[in-house]
Amino acid sequence: MSTLTSDLRLARQLVHGSDRKEWWRIALTAAGAAAATGFALAAVTLASVPAGYSVSHFHGLLTGSGTRGGVISGLLLLLVPVLAFLGQCARIGAVHRDRRLAGLRLAGAAPGQVRRIAALETGLACLLGSAVATVFSVLFVLRLWSGPTAVTWLGFVLVAVGVPALGAVAGAVALRRVVASPLGRVRRVAQRTGRGPGLLFLSGLAVLVAVAPLALNERHVAGNRLDWSTPLTVFSLVIALGAGVVWLAGATARFTGGLLAVRARTAAPLLAAERLRDDPWAPARTHAAVLLVTVAGTAFLCVRHAMLTDLRATDPEYRAADLAYYTTGLDLTGAAVLVALAIALSGLAVGTAESLTTRRRTLAAQVAAGVPRTVLNRALLLETALPLAPALLLAGAGGLAIGIWYSSLTGDGSLPWTALLVAPAVYASCLLAAATALPLLGRSVRPGELRYV
Amino acid sequence: MTHGETATATHGTAAPPLLTARGLAKAHGRTEALRGASLELRAGEILAVTGASGSGKSTLLHCLAGIVRPDAGSVTYAGLRLEELPEKRLSELRRTDFGVVFQFGQLIPELTAVDNVALPLLLAGTARTEARARAGEWLERFGVRGQEELRPGEMSGGQAQRAALARALVTGPKAVFADEPTGALDSLATEEVMTALAHTARESGTAVLLVTHDAQVAAYADREVRLRDGAVSPLEVTA
Repeated sequence: MSTLTSDLRLARQLVHGSDRKEWWRIALTAAGAAAATGFALAAVTLASVPAGYSVSHFHGLLTGSGTRGGVISGLLLLLVPVLAFLGQCARIGAVHRDRRLAGLRLAGAAPGQVRRIAALETGLACLLGSAVATVFSVLFVLRLWSGPTAVTWLGFVLVAVGVPALGAVAGAVALRRVVASPLGRVRRVAQRTGRGPGLLFLSGLAVLVAVAPLALNERHVAGNRLDWSTPLTVFSLVIALGAGVVWLAGATARFTGGLLAVRARTAAPLLAAERLRDDPWAPARTHAAVLLVTVAGTAFLCVRHAMLTDLRATDPEYRAADLAYYTTGLDLTGAAVLVALAIALSGLAVGTAESLTTRRRTLAAQVAAGVPRTVLNRALLLETALPLAPALLLAGAGGLAIGIWYSSLTGDGSLPWTALLVAPAVYASCLLAAATALPLLGRSVRPGELRYV
Repeated sequence: MTHGETATATHGTAAPPLLTARGLAKAHGRTEALRGASLELRAGEILAVTGASGSGKSTLLHCLAGIVRPDAGSVTYAGLRLEELPEKRLSELRRTDFGVVFQFGQLIPELTAVDNVALPLLLAGTARTEARARAGEWLERFGVRGQEELRPGEMSGGQAQRAALARALVTGPKAVFADEPTGALDSLATEEVMTALAHTARESGTAVLLVTHDAQVAAYADREVRLRDGAVSPLEVTA
């Protein structure tokens, strides 16, 4: 306990003593924590609304227990990319602080202790973001709802404390392969093999196969009454889907890297392909988030089109207020997809910046040796562009397949042409997100980096 | 007889200056790293720049190689004033006429040894097959045979540094700038690397500017200049 207390005190001092360059990373972490707290508090508030309570906002969408449950699930699902984003922020923060971590190691800190201190720094930044979000949420809830219950406030306390704790855990998990040596080098121990996501995918799939028939049977027997097998089915589906997409993203990167490394004729594709082949799993999580958003976005546009076509065809009188109930739900879902995309793109930008930070000395040496910056810029963009091109094509096709299936069930089978634009639009957004790291590349290759031993 | 004495006898002092620095000054923030440093690097010679830690050795090398621009003074190479050239032209110069070697970091960890050495050739527009073939020849000259497809992390420090030297020399530069090239090596590997560098530089007529604080390494040079507080004193030049 005393060790943890002294680590916490040290982490607080390090956060307090951060120079100006580090504040933007703390701000990113705090912003991620604030988003996570906001989503979680919204979910808690909706969950604590008593049954039968009429919510006047959003055309009555939040009054029905079924649709309210859907909104709560959507808010909780948004926590997944936010937590991944937090982990990404923790990683870039810790690796950038390698000289400080090395100083701690020289002073006698063990590798685990250094990781713990770095994770606690993340926790403190999360506490800052969480506190701000909690204060605003309390004011917002008191303004909109006259009678929050004791359960609501209990939920608020749990979220306000839980998000920084989760942030610290996410930070520790993100740093599990990072070791700072006392001589100032930070390195990753053990190459990622992709076995973790593969095993997680298979485990999730196994649970899903075992539980899904039970859940379907229970629903058939008990009507709409929820039982233990339904949440377990949803949970295993989320795990299997998430891990499967991470594995797919890594496998695509490895395949693309291997294919192009032997065929590259110029320097930039060679650099990008060899980097992908060397560590295809580094960008897998951020790419996976982008792929999931692409599937969801493409499918959403198809579903929205099919639903609205069906509603308008069913009864021409079925307009205005009644239709607004559905369009509000669809608009909220669309907004959630856009928020998830924004978080995924932020994670991609942070991940790209992190990869530059860890390589800055090598990059500075390349520029000193005469490698043009344009080549390094192009290689950096290709690292994102090469693996995402086939993966996004697959994701877009997957989303369209879901859309076609849904449309064939409910509508006339027609699809909106905008659904075809989702994958190219996401691809362009990813390249723009990666390009935001280019100014950092310019700063990373300064000759000053060559001076540090 | 030292390595330096042998080389002096071979080259003498008659070789024309390849690169001339006059009155270089450079500050890092409030710290003045160079204060009016002047020196000449002659064609084909190995020149050691020695001095205490913080005396400005690395900054001098960075200015001479066109990696940083001095705050004052000039560096002239082949009639060109380096401080007046745009960044793009300086990069091109470092790629074609100069080679640089650092203590570590110059090899790209994701590329194999042969691809690392071939990189400057690829950047110059050489076809990859030819670039790899020429890189393989250079690796063989530096005694890194059979290691071509290994990545830097899979090689010993000495092997990686010899691969770095091969990369610095593969384009046939007029001058190589080496900043503590053996700083991370043991004495045996240091001897291997320095022997390979001195032998190849003399064979190809490449000038080498060697920044070191190690007397064992400086002994390979034809001349040695000592930096003190950011300046080279003519009295301290040893031949």
